[in-house]
Amino acid sequence: MNRGGMRVVVVGAGLAGLTAAAELAAVGAEVTVLEARERVGGRMHGIPVSASVVADGGAAYLGVRHTELLAMVREHGLGLASTVMEGDSTFLVSDVRTTTATRVPPLDAVALGDLFDRLEELVAQVRADAPWESPRAEYLDQLTAAQWLADEVKHPDARTFFPLFIGEMMAADPAAISVLHMAFYLRSGGGIRYLNAFEGGAQQWRIDGGAHLLCEALADRLGERVRLGHPVSAIDQDADEVVVHCVSSADGRRFEYRADQVVVAIPPLLAQRIEFRPALSAPRATAATGRGCAVKVHLSYPAPIWREQGLSGWSVSAHGPLLSTVDDSPPDESTGVLTGFVTGAAASAFSALSSDEQRDAALAHTSRLFPQLPPPTQCSVTDWPAEMYSRGCYAALFGPGDWLRLGPTLTEPHGRVHWAGTETSLEFFGLMEGAIRSGQRVATELIYGAEPATVTGKVMAQ
Amino acid sequence: MNPDHIVHIFRMVLNTPEVDASSDFFELGGDSLLATRVLSAIARDFGTELLFEEFLDDPTPDGLFARIAAVAP
Repeated sequence: MNRGGMRVVVVGAGLAGLTAAAELAAVGAEVTVLEARERVGGRMHGIPVSASVVADGGAAYLGVRHTELLAMVREHGLGLASTVMEGDSTFLVSDVRTTTATRVPPLDAVALGDLFDRLEELVAQVRADAPWESPRAEYLDQLTAAQWLADEVKHPDARTFFPLFIGEMMAADPAAISVLHMAFYLRSGGGIRYLNAFEGGAQQWRIDGGAHLLCEALADRLGERVRLGHPVSAIDQDADEVVVHCVSSADGRRFEYRADQVVVAIPPLLAQRIEFRPALSAPRATAATGRGCAVKVHLSYPAPIWREQGLSGWSVSAHGPLLSTVDDSPPDESTGVLTGFVTGAAASAFSALSSDEQRDAALAHTSRLFPQLPPPTQCSVTDWPAEMYSRGCYAALFGPGDWLRLGPTLTEPHGRVHWAGTETSLEFFGLMEGAIRSGQRVATELIYGAEPATVTGKVMAQ
Repeated sequence: MNPDHIVHIFRMVLNTPEVDASSDFFELGGDSLLATRVLSAIARDFGTELLFEEFLDDPTPDGLFARIAAVAP
């Protein structure tokens, strides 16, 4: 279907917005993408870790079920880098360092199995297509994951492990999310086992050279349609059109963009801050909605030297800041890259430190984990909760009450305003795959579904 | 209780019917996370808590049953 002449403003040049913009441009719509930052990519961001190597500051991993993402990677001629690890895992539990051939931490395995059994029960109960209509949805939406743990799980080892697991899977503090959100997130991502696994799971590959390359490739195709440094402050609409208001971050100049339809493809906490006239009838976020709590620390070495010591570089620590580390070295081993994940409650504490304190804490933790390693040549911290134009990563955290309040209207247009972003995708919510699927869904909505009154009027008049 | 019950546990945890008493858990696609769920099911159904290292020793229904028999009075 040709949508020539339909004017669309897309707010946000992350993966969701760029996907929508590219699909709309392809059918002839007149598209403008307004991006607050001076770069595209949103929560996909390249961090230089050596003279020639760029690591993923944000979203990084993908697996075979991420079919739309894989197709897009291929279409843009990008490659995949395997995350396969060889060597022993490292654990730091109760201040004791151990290394083992498996990925099971030195905690009671039966207790961990019981915990996973309990989580599986919750995941099986949640309705993937409408979590707010799951059995006991009201109860599970009010209860925090931390309360659930306190009530249901007694073994101290399971209680130690649970926040680490939820931190790694969802970048969440269990006290900040509802049980419904936890169960939904795990289900949406393909189940606990898929979401947790590297090989055969959601972390099978990285995009070679960095995930941000995909957003840059999409933005290149869109060319001058993408306007950087254009934070949107307000969106007005009437019977005839929408007016999107921006204030340039460079010089404070005000811009107005007029359109037939708008796609808001930014995280819910940011969407909620835009002034809508008329006002939204349903909120995008509430006081309970939290920032995804992830800080990534990239440690650079001349080569992945831990491999020579028989270590995979993968670690789990019971205490922060670096609750886990992953070997993200490039395939040619030209640089050694260890990525430290600071997640959940540890990320909030870490985010509050000065950059010097963050660096000192990360280096001290690394020397306890890997005492044989020399100090890294570089330490880069990407603090997502502090990013004003992301407000967290991996994704918004739905707190108590949020799914029943926000879920039913997640994708419901507000007049001429339509919604995208990984938090609007019930499939692979919070992941790059979810972002793409939301962008495709909203593009389809605009092309086939929500025909604006003015266009209908013109057609009638002809 | 007999090895068949562990075959049943493998089938349930791995979500596949392709299990017999000599099947290796990891060759069937099991991973360490799922292995802990086998151990919790064994603890529930046999009253015996095996260590993860014991699981790795011979991760087949026959091997695990022999281990349980050796541990249990």
